[in-house]
Amino acid sequence: MLTLAIRNLARRRLRTLLTISGIAAAVAVLASLLAFGQGYRSGLNRELNAMGIQMMLVPIGCPYDAAARVIKGKALDVSLPDASLGAVRADSAVAVAAPVLMAAIPRPTEGRTDLWVGVDRDILPLKSWWKMKQGSTWFTGPDSVILGAEAAATELRQIGDPLYSPETGKTFRVCAILERSGTTDDSQFFIPIATAQNMFDQHGRLTAVAIRLKDPSLLAGAADRLQQTPGAQIVTMGEMMGTFLNLVETVRTLLLAIGAIAAAIGALTVFNTMLASVVERAAELGMLRAVGASRLDLFWLLGLESSLLAICGAMIGVAAAATLGPWIEKAVRTLVPMAPQGALLRLNPTIVGECAAMGLAVGIAAGLFPAWQASRMKPVEAMRAR
Amino acid sequence: MIGTENTAVAEALVKEYRRGAETVRALDGVSFEIRHGEMLAIVGPSGAGKSTLLHLLGCMDTPTSGQLTINGRSTSGLADRELTRMRRELVGFVFQHFALLPTLTVAENVALPGLFARRRAQKHADELLERVGLSHRRTHRPHELSGGEMQRVAIARALINSPKLLLADEPTGNLDTASGESILSLFRALNSEGLTVVLVTHNEALAKATNRIITLSDGKLVSDLRRSE
Repeated sequence: MLTLAIRNLARRRLRTLLTISGIAAAVAVLASLLAFGQGYRSGLNRELNAMGIQMMLVPIGCPYDAAARVIKGKALDVSLPDASLGAVRADSAVAVAAPVLMAAIPRPTEGRTDLWVGVDRDILPLKSWWKMKQGSTWFTGPDSVILGAEAAATELRQIGDPLYSPETGKTFRVCAILERSGTTDDSQFFIPIATAQNMFDQHGRLTAVAIRLKDPSLLAGAADRLQQTPGAQIVTMGEMMGTFLNLVETVRTLLLAIGAIAAAIGALTVFNTMLASVVERAAELGMLRAVGASRLDLFWLLGLESSLLAICGAMIGVAAAATLGPWIEKAVRTLVPMAPQGALLRLNPTIVGECAAMGLAVGIAAGLFPAWQASRMKPVEAMRAR
Repeated sequence: MIGTENTAVAEALVKEYRRGAETVRALDGVSFEIRHGEMLAIVGPSGAGKSTLLHLLGCMDTPTSGQLTINGRSTSGLADRELTRMRRELVGFVFQHFALLPTLTVAENVALPGLFARRRAQKHADELLERVGLSHRRTHRPHELSGGEMQRVAIARALINSPKLLLADEPTGNLDTASGESILSLFRALNSEGLTVVLVTHNEALAKATNRIITLSDGKLVSDLRRSE
């Protein structure tokens, strides 16, 4: 029966290939989207957890947008007064308060935007993943710069090299280069906070203050007190995480809807192919009934054919998702806000299994009606269809 | 009337079917019996009911009224499953257009009914191909054969489940004279071995080569002539 089914499918090669392609595309889309959603979620979790920050003081405005921008390395249009840093550091619950000033320098000729970040030594406890290359030192003067691994590679700089910023007309000396961490830090330029304030005409201003508490249980009280800081507001990482997870869930729902559409298209392709096959082969199916095939035999034969289409489609779809994943990720990354560093497309066995099962189920289900149609053909009428 | 010497017995067979709003009576009270080992031809003009009768004899359909007994078993009121079993076990079909599957080899086509009977039939298929003189063509596809060869393959396929009754619908209708004679010889040889053969044909020579001719007209049996008669 299997041989018969395979030969029947081989008879119309182009149609069979197109049908398999339909299922494969559906499975590939679904697998890629699910893998992307999962990678996005775990990447965000990883980055937020790695920060060791419990809350952040940001300028008044949308607190989540502000905190997200600071975390993901994007410049803010508004800023905090320098004095707010003193207020934070004065709070008894605060263990570390690290000022941050961020500014973006567009480099249109190079097709990128550099992010310069003013920091002081208090940032170090909050950047537990920072590992500096051998020979690195902390800022030795106002013109020192610490380069992320990617930034150093892009600028072709080594420790001790000068780094000229044509947009600001300043020359820096590279005092340290960070090891690659898979975070947004890899592409950033870190300079002393005072230098950043001068360089970007933000005297006495900050983008945010990252805060670690002495004890996480002090969070509620500290948040209430710091919320009173003039011109500023507090965002806790719990709130941030919740907001991100809501975003991820929304994205996931959207992805599943797209996947469902892809699956429906795959199902229609199989349905159309199998139904056309039943109509075309009516006389042949009648002959099979005449030589002893039962209704169940024909149902099984047609069901087997649609199953084979589904199996091939699912396998090719999963393979395509794995092969094309990096390209899909590259394309999607540019469209997704706050995309975490590292691989976003995480095609794990669960996703592969789910998507392959979906492809199979859709293919088999779509073949049921045509198979049933074939099985209920009366031999005499089918023979007349010659 | 129903004796063990009969392969088939038809009593007042009526077959009606709908064509749009119209009810067509394709067979109108046909009665006859076919004895074991007979070779007979059913003849008549187009629309006489020959093919309808063949389909009833082949358990591909059931009569609207009357009784048809094949190998001692009535087909009236049988469920599809039972009719399928009777087709599988008792009847072999040979079609005018051969009805070979183009995707299968000659040997696979012959063995095909064995697939539905849930038994390995390849060895028997090889024997039958030998019997019809086509063992050298066993790996060929139908499109590589002549019309006569295709019909011989179809006959071998009809024999694979060792039927009691071989039914052939215009078996020489698509063949040249030489191929037609070769097919007729094969039918006669099979009949001489005891197989009951029923041919539906327009071919006078083929009909005359049998030992009985049943003539139908407008769904009625108008003559039933045995060679001895």
